[in-house]
Amino acid sequence: MSTGPSVRNILISAAIFVAMEIAALAILSKSSSLANIWINRASHRTMAAVWGSFENVRNIFSLSKQNEALLEQNIRLTDELQKYKDAEKISLEASSSAEVRGSSFRYIPATIVKFSTNTAHNHIILNKGSEDGVKPDCGIISADGVVGVVEAVGRHYSYGLTLMNTNISIGGRIKGKDYLAPVVWDGRTTNGAFVKDMPLHHVVAPGDTVVTSGFSTIFPPDVPIGIAGESTMVDGSVFNIKVTLFQDFSSLKYVSIVENLDKDEIQALEAEKEDGDEN
Amino acid sequence: MRIKDFGVKFILFLVAQIIVWTYFNFSQFVMLTVLPAMILAVPARRGTIYTMVIAFITGFIVDFLAGGMLGLTSLALVAVAFVRIPVLRLAFGNELFSRGGSISTKNFGQMKMFVGLLLATFVFVLIYVWADGAGTRPFWFNAVKVVASLVASTLVSIPVVNFLSDNSK
Repeated sequence: MSTGPSVRNILISAAIFVAMEIAALAILSKSSSLANIWINRASHRTMAAVWGSFENVRNIFSLSKQNEALLEQNIRLTDELQKYKDAEKISLEASSSAEVRGSSFRYIPATIVKFSTNTAHNHIILNKGSEDGVKPDCGIISADGVVGVVEAVGRHYSYGLTLMNTNISIGGRIKGKDYLAPVVWDGRTTNGAFVKDMPLHHVVAPGDTVVTSGFSTIFPPDVPIGIAGESTMVDGSVFNIKVTLFQDFSSLKYVSIVENLDKDEIQALEAEKEDGDEN
Repeated sequence: MRIKDFGVKFILFLVAQIIVWTYFNFSQFVMLTVLPAMILAVPARRGTIYTMVIAFITGFIVDFLAGGMLGLTSLALVAVAFVRIPVLRLAFGNELFSRGGSISTKNFGQMKMFVGLLLATFVFVLIYVWADGAGTRPFWFNAVKVVASLVASTLVSIPVVNFLSDNSK
């Protein structure tokens, strides 16, 4: 009884078939110049398609390297942009006759080593530590916006709290209106937050952009946070405004640690002033 | 003896095909061929590799003697030999292989024979016309030529296969 051809036989037949077809095409290309051109063109197209596919696959495997290179470039450009902003600020301040120097921020690219999103106190571990210049209370941002704040630093790694943490509050500002209010996580989603305690006389329309205020020593001003949504009145005295964060925390891999180079001086000044007031 | 008889008849049809392609050009839209039918009529017990070798040599001889482009007929006919067993299974069922015999209208009926020949001839004509055009002819021309040649060749092939498979002599 016939059980049909085995896989081995099919493979051998297929190989011989391919060999015979190639032989026939080779003979055909020798016997007619038109056929030769046609076969060559088809062959070039096939090779281009095959090598194109290989190149695509190779690109997929090199995406990680490309991402790191882009991150480095992004940091460089952000640094450069910040210098221009500082220069502009100095120029504006100089025009009001005060002799000041620009506040400056330093950016350190980092890759997320560990990241939690499923608790009320989510944290993040980055692959840069004190040897890379990271200090506690540095900000963590991404290309999309605010991510969190560095809380503890080891030699090679740092530990941060993300905005998806109920203990974190970021100083926010409604862009174009200069209303200031803290931004906190909504406690549920990976891209939701609230602007809290907005006074009733401040009208925030859905679609307004929320950015960092720049009045803390952690984040530079105007780092995007999210888009304002509906407002809810709380206790008849303030509004809580829903915010859709620009940074979706479910798809985060690369960040920048931002260090305020003037932070120590500012904090020292604050401490000195507070001591003076107490005495 | 039967194989030998088949071989002689196969050569006779091969010569006939060469004569037709050399001296009878009916139309630029019709190519009359019985070569796929001859390959399909190779006894079912013969394997694919054997049939592909026969097809390659047959195609080469036809091209050489009929003054066509060398390799063109082999290119199309080897493909027919490669799909021969699946086509036979599809058209005639497993019964053909359990018998190990040959296909014929007497054994399997007109319809099965027509379907089998149509499939084999379609593979041949499609590759032949496509490669013959070498990308220079418009699609409609190739399509008309494929359809016209397919119909004409399939109808002519039915008596050819019956004759090749006739073992009563």
